[in-house]
Amino acid sequence: MAGLKDRYCIVGVGETEYSKRSNRSTRAMAVEAIKKAMADAGLKAADVDGMMSYQGGDSTPANWVSGDLGLRLNFYMDVFGGGSSTEALIGLAMGAIEAGMCKTVALFRSMNGYSDFRIGGTGARAAQPVRGLDLAQVPFGMRSAGQNFAPTFMRHMYEYGTTSEQVAAVRVAHSKHASQNPKALLKERVSVPDVISSRWICKPLHLLDCCVETDNATCVIVTSAERARDLRQKPAYVMGVAGRVNKPRTDFHWATGPISRVAGYYAKDIVFGQAGITPEDVDITGSYDAFTFTTMLQLEEYGFCKKGEGGAYVSSGIIELGGKRPNNTSGSHLCEGYTHGMSMVIENVRQLRGRVDDYCPGAAEGKHSYDYSPGKCRQVKDAKITMNLGWAMPPTGSALIMHN
Amino acid sequence: MPSVEYRGMNLVIPENDSEWREHFKLAREQHKLMLRACTSCRLMRYPPSHGCPWCMSLEWEWKEVSGKGHIYSYEVVHHAIQPGFKEWTPYAVVLIELDEQRGTPTPDEALRIIGNLVTPDFKAEAESKVAIGKRVRVVFHDLAPDFALPQFTLIDEPPVGRVWSLPA
Repeated sequence: MAGLKDRYCIVGVGETEYSKRSNRSTRAMAVEAIKKAMADAGLKAADVDGMMSYQGGDSTPANWVSGDLGLRLNFYMDVFGGGSSTEALIGLAMGAIEAGMCKTVALFRSMNGYSDFRIGGTGARAAQPVRGLDLAQVPFGMRSAGQNFAPTFMRHMYEYGTTSEQVAAVRVAHSKHASQNPKALLKERVSVPDVISSRWICKPLHLLDCCVETDNATCVIVTSAERARDLRQKPAYVMGVAGRVNKPRTDFHWATGPISRVAGYYAKDIVFGQAGITPEDVDITGSYDAFTFTTMLQLEEYGFCKKGEGGAYVSSGIIELGGKRPNNTSGSHLCEGYTHGMSMVIENVRQLRGRVDDYCPGAAEGKHSYDYSPGKCRQVKDAKITMNLGWAMPPTGSALIMHN
Repeated sequence: MPSVEYRGMNLVIPENDSEWREHFKLAREQHKLMLRACTSCRLMRYPPSHGCPWCMSLEWEWKEVSGKGHIYSYEVVHHAIQPGFKEWTPYAVVLIELDEQRGTPTPDEALRIIGNLVTPDFKAEAESKVAIGKRVRVVFHDLAPDFALPQFTLIDEPPVGRVWSLPA
């Protein structure tokens, strides 16, 4: 992608309420999220001619949603996927525009991930017939995301001495950030003892090591830097993007090792290479926190600390607001609500604008107190470069670097 | 045998499932763990697949392995997702590294397979007995006339490397 750096940007973001009972369809939620993102960008119906979405048989396709808003599309595509799709689709949207297929693309994810199609794998998902490659794991009671990832986490603890207490610090940091986020489902700050005394889900995962299943829709709008010039918001420019990068043997990644290695090992050179920066240049990270462990594994694999030192890194205070490089300043999947990754990109766009929607009275005008006590500010001062680390599973991930 | 009922799950193995059908059938008929071996580069692989991950050959044959190995990693499920597993909690899911082909063709590669750690009569093994490094052997749980599920049980042999389990 050499040559596309700074030529595309995110110009609009929007989302619906994070809840456990939306009482409406994924179509209705998608329409609201897209409309909000268009209003945020200052785009009219005639200005958006591309649409993309991702889902796992639990959402509404783009060509149902577009008509609700009076959009006539020149390009749309719905892909099969969950986590790590956001960053990948941003790259694909850039490609579609670069190819002349369309000019401006709205990407959305809409899911009743708690009230309808439980993302944790219970209900309808648990009852699905087991066939094909699923026969290698599901018959053994290994169906949910947590069950699929846990041996990776356990092996990391074995190899590097990572402790439950260290990893719990991710939840502590993200709960701190959520206490400054009016949208967050779980705003209460928690401690390390709170996390490790919560009930076991699937060892080594406690309840509070896991994210919160949510009903929600999210949208980001991608267009060219040229098109962005006369829009409402300060653009968030894409410096580099890597999409759905894999380890070998993604069919059964246990066959290759080390199994404590995740896809960022391969993605980092692509994304940092495009951006022409190093981890030290990044002001804010947005790491996929389906679980506390996924954040830790990604931060170390992308080089924010040495491999194996992720436990020490996440428990050092660096990833908290006020620390050197805050991670997931919205509280994200663990506390704000689970959205399959889109919300962490939205948060970083708002950070780069200097306009996160915290409790500061002048937040919408970019007036922030930088007081990180509960119920106050979550804006990072002078944030210039953000990075998103998208996770599908240990062997598959995406990444996105943006600047303002 | 298009499908097998097990713990409330419908395991579907249609006639045209060219990966799994024979795998589970051989497990049932012979009570042996049979893996696919490339007839070109001779390397074995799991799960059963049509192409060789190392040399792309589409020619393969079944090859018997001992079914012995050690626990490479594990998890213990306390909150079951599938209704049929609730009565089994807490149960261990183990990632077994088989004895054959360890560190081949590159140091971090091995034949690894997922199963449950069970007693020889297919009850969930006690959580306190699960640990990385412990030795196991395969046992076959017959579920249908041409379907057996390979599982693993502890054996009294010296461990491989350090024995480790999650601190209580």
